[in-house]
Amino acid sequence: MQQKTKFTRFTERSGYAGSAWLLMVVLLIIAGVRAPYLFTGSGIGGFIVNTTPLILVAMAMTVTALVGSNVDLSAGALMIFVNVSLVKFLFDQSIGAPWIVVLLAIGIGVAVQVIQVVIMTVVRIEPIIVTLAAFLALSGLNLVILSRPQGRAPNWLGAWGAGRDIFGPMTLLVIVVIVAWFLFTRTGLFTRIKLVGANERTAFVSGVPVFRTRLVAHVISGVLIGLAGLAYTGFIASGNPTQSATYTLAAVTALVLGGTSLAGGAGGMLGTVPGAIAVSLISFTLSTFPLGLLASFVTQFAYGLILVLALTLGVLVRGIVVRKKRSAVA
Amino acid sequence: MSVQYTYPNEIPVDERSAIVQWISAHRNFVLGAGMLIGLLVVGGFTLPGFVSGLNVRSMLLLGAFLGLASIGQTLVALLGGLDLAIPYIIGSANIALVALIGGGTPVGLSIVVVLVAATLIGLVNGLLSFRLQNQALVVSLGVGFATVGLTQLFTSSNDTMGQTTGAVPRWLGNLASLNGTTFGIPLPPIVLIWIILAIALILVMRSTWFGRSLYALGGNRTAARLARAPERLRWVSVYAISGLFSGVTGIALLGFSGGAFVRVGDPYLFLTVAAVAVGGTSLLGGRGGYGSTLLGVLVLTVLTSLLVGYGLDSNGQQFVLGLLIIPLVAIYARKTPIKYQV
Amino acid sequence: MDLGASAATTPPPATGPGAAGPPAIEVRGMHKSFGETRALRGVDFTAFSGEIHAIVGENGSGKSTMAKIISGIFGPDSGTARIFGEEIGNPIEASRAGVATVFQEVLVAETATVAENVFMGMRSEKGTRRSRSWKRERAGELMSDLVGHEIDPDEIVEDLPLAVRQWVTIARAIAREPRVVVFDESTAALDLDGAARLYAEMQRLRDGGACVLVVTHRIAELTSFADRATVLRDGKTVGVVEGAEITLDRLLEMMSGVAPSEDAVRAPAARAVERSAPVLTASAVQVQPAFAPSDLELYPGEIIGFAGLDGQGQSEFIQALTGVAPFASGSVQVHGDTEEPRSIHTLEDAIGARALYISGDRRREGIFTNLSIFENFAMPIYKDEQDFGIIRRRSIMNKFREQSERLSLRAGASTNLITSLSGGNQQKVIIGRVLAQNPRVVALNDPARGVDIRTKRELYQQLDTLAASGAGVVYLSTEIDELVGLCHRVAVFRDGALFTWLEGEQITSDRILGAMFGHLETDFQIEEIMESTHAAEN
Repeated sequence: MQQKTKFTRFTERSGYAGSAWLLMVVLLIIAGVRAPYLFTGSGIGGFIVNTTPLILVAMAMTVTALVGSNVDLSAGALMIFVNVSLVKFLFDQSIGAPWIVVLLAIGIGVAVQVIQVVIMTVVRIEPIIVTLAAFLALSGLNLVILSRPQGRAPNWLGAWGAGRDIFGPMTLLVIVVIVAWFLFTRTGLFTRIKLVGANERTAFVSGVPVFRTRLVAHVISGVLIGLAGLAYTGFIASGNPTQSATYTLAAVTALVLGGTSLAGGAGGMLGTVPGAIAVSLISFTLSTFPLGLLASFVTQFAYGLILVLALTLGVLVRGIVVRKKRSAVA
Repeated sequence: MSVQYTYPNEIPVDERSAIVQWISAHRNFVLGAGMLIGLLVVGGFTLPGFVSGLNVRSMLLLGAFLGLASIGQTLVALLGGLDLAIPYIIGSANIALVALIGGGTPVGLSIVVVLVAATLIGLVNGLLSFRLQNQALVVSLGVGFATVGLTQLFTSSNDTMGQTTGAVPRWLGNLASLNGTTFGIPLPPIVLIWIILAIALILVMRSTWFGRSLYALGGNRTAARLARAPERLRWVSVYAISGLFSGVTGIALLGFSGGAFVRVGDPYLFLTVAAVAVGGTSLLGGRGGYGSTLLGVLVLTVLTSLLVGYGLDSNGQQFVLGLLIIPLVAIYARKTPIKYQV
Repeated sequence: MDLGASAATTPPPATGPGAAGPPAIEVRGMHKSFGETRALRGVDFTAFSGEIHAIVGENGSGKSTMAKIISGIFGPDSGTARIFGEEIGNPIEASRAGVATVFQEVLVAETATVAENVFMGMRSEKGTRRSRSWKRERAGELMSDLVGHEIDPDEIVEDLPLAVRQWVTIARAIAREPRVVVFDESTAALDLDGAARLYAEMQRLRDGGACVLVVTHRIAELTSFADRATVLRDGKTVGVVEGAEITLDRLLEMMSGVAPSEDAVRAPAARAVERSAPVLTASAVQVQPAFAPSDLELYPGEIIGFAGLDGQGQSEFIQALTGVAPFASGSVQVHGDTEEPRSIHTLEDAIGARALYISGDRRREGIFTNLSIFENFAMPIYKDEQDFGIIRRRSIMNKFREQSERLSLRAGASTNLITSLSGGNQQKVIIGRVLAQNPRVVALNDPARGVDIRTKRELYQQLDTLAASGAGVVYLSTEIDELVGLCHRVAVFRDGALFTWLEGEQITSDRILGAMFGHLETDFQIEEIMESTHAAEN
């Protein structure tokens, strides 16, 4: 067996992200043809502002999926929870100092994720049940905290949502997060997250601190969701309690499209980020057609179709690869 | 030459008293019944009119909707899956029926068309879920999403503003609304239908190869295959049944509310899972049954009624129920610690 | 000779060969139960640095449970396990104390690379933090040494053959430079060459001063290289043997608690079989396209034994006979008294022809842990016992009573969970449900796993009775001596196909073992085979 070149390795390792990149490029072309203003400075800036919350939530879901906590159905509701909490407990009380706002946003995200991981590992309940319960509890609570879209973000945060040119604060946020994540993937801690996700029992018997590793993954997810809540608040410059389900489903679609395995241990941001951009482009592209109210139905249908197709495709491709390797051995 | 040898494990003797043994063998029943009685007592003492005829009737009616929607979820959970398409099929059936009737299709035919479509969607869901095992849950979510999107496209294209309007036949109103009567008895017929279906289902689960093989598959797939349980067929039929009864629930809810509303199914995403879990059907497969779910349905309906009585709106109820599911699942469906999985 | 007593009264030596300080492993009075199953019921033993110490015992004697306690997976209910004088609470502490374990199950992170798997969970001790590239290189070297050809450390483990994955788990243990290495049935996925390389590796570790603990029921393989052996039986230590005392007969005797000659109960093979019309024929069956074809004729009244090293095709073959697993080519037919012979391709075919399969892997292929004793009995029968879709519970209940009496099932109420029974009684339920279907052919795949001696003897008697009534029996065992005295003929498998037949007088432990290693002549010593294998390796 000879060593493969770095390039072959890279393409092999990154194959999972293929369909997300493909769909993103196709949609970019369609969007560019339909609405050329997308490729102006303010067009790109506006799109980034629009998409940042989704990218961050989908990234958060990716971390917990990698560590083996399945798909985090609570992520969207948690992001909205951060948003409405900021509005209700800070902005409505005229508190808007950046450090308090950022601290509370991240603090809420981390706290809720830690509670969830403790229930998963210490009480030992299926992750999907825990996040489903959290989704329901949080999306109910969000509407109890704010009964309808209301409130006003402080000026500095509201300015995030301007999106007049490419390099706004939101763009910076996304770049910083992605670079930080890339650096994190070089650490042993990241490897441990993947190993625990790939096979928890193996990791356990090999002396990997399983609980601590899962805790770290969920804390990272909490930080990302906190930032997403912040970005969302900047984007709409107010509070909106009604979008829990929308964001959860869009992010699940991005995650699945991005090729991250819901069984844990495989996948990554290389697929999730273009996946989230593609999902966001779907609604953008549809808005260029005169669909009126139907647009939301088409979007819903498209999400559903992408979920099913991406999963089916993933299984089929995996099956072909395995068969190929088997026949190569025999 | 003599070999001293003692044989281990003679018949294990259970030294606990008969009543303790019975309780431990029927733990989930005892617990569920206890919860139900407790809730009724609390409601009866703190809320005026809680155990009045009207409120009991309304609880039974709401219980019937949840009970019908939970039939599929129970069967799917017995196999070790979850069907998240249920609320979307309910909503789709709800608006599709009105759209069909509004478009001039005879009522009977419309109902048949809706139910067949719901069953087919369940079937597709089952096929895909079986193929994509580990991702079954997200598959069902995707199928549900696609269904509701597509249905709305069809129903909305011929009228305005995404609202679907049409006349709901009167008999459907009687079937499933609070002032409906069954042969003169002041109880909506849907309750009776639910009770009959429940009894039939419990018998089927207990005394047919179909029912027993579900338990086998939920407990040990390989062993079940060796006992000739047809895995794919069961998986697909169970999801198809789930689709069918989601459709039935959607139609019944139309009778209840008198108008079409696509999000009418939304609460059932959680409530069906909760009813299954509260009743004591393990979400990991192989344990429980519709009898357990029945108890779960009653507990949840009484609890909801109690929360409404205390003035919580639907969001508050959702919050409380969301928090409740964790301790309830913790009673029945905790996973084995990793150290004993090695 | 009183085996149990003599062993129990011989205390293990307080200090080992040249040992200073506490022994590498010291286990005292260890008990451990899992629900109703009492896995360990008083185990004592001591192992020292610089020795290969074997823990032997039949399946279900508690060896694996003990290996897991020593590795810190879980703790004992009572008693202690000390590694260099310290008690171990979890795998991380075990790893810190210098323990590395290769488990029976091939435990790998499937979606991670070889290098990541090899260095999984290794703590970066002060100043020894290694770079990624160093780890990749080291993993590549280690793996190539062990496997015998180059292995790319960046390969995803999922894409590698099972044997190579097993080597990944072995490399993981060796990479830690352990002071105590536990090998729990680690040759299972390896071929003969691989096993020999592993033995050489064990000796290298021993010579380097490590304590090598080999947990196995395949005792033939270790007689040549183990320094000491502790024998377990039904969760208890029954004795320790050293050096030249470690012989096949001696170990077998201690493991079963019965001198081989004394085993009078087991003599079905004495019953003559008339070989005129076979009940089952397999012609030119290839379990996989790459393997040679095998033929077999099973006659009414006959008990055929299947033997072979792990993974030589015998398990696939027995599954092919009963439609449990598909086979590549050839034909399997079951012959009735009057009707046309029936071809077996699927499970339905086999059950229709009443050629039935019994697995020894109860947890995976046999029982439904979520269901009652009665349900476990009834599940395979339901399909044939229904009127208009309603199952005939009463009729099945009668069969259950009949079979539980016949097999003297020791159980509480039939509505109790199957897990309330001991391994032996669980196996009786499984055998009962097969007998209730009036089998023409019964194929048993290592059914004595985790079953106590009394139940085993009862099983042999039941099979004899069954065969005497005209059925054919195929019996695969991973414990060679099970086949002796039970079988009329023994088929030994090698390289995926039937290698040779042994018959009558030829059926001895030594002959079967020799054939498993590819020797056909009668006069040889096990030690010679092992040595020649080692020589071939070096």
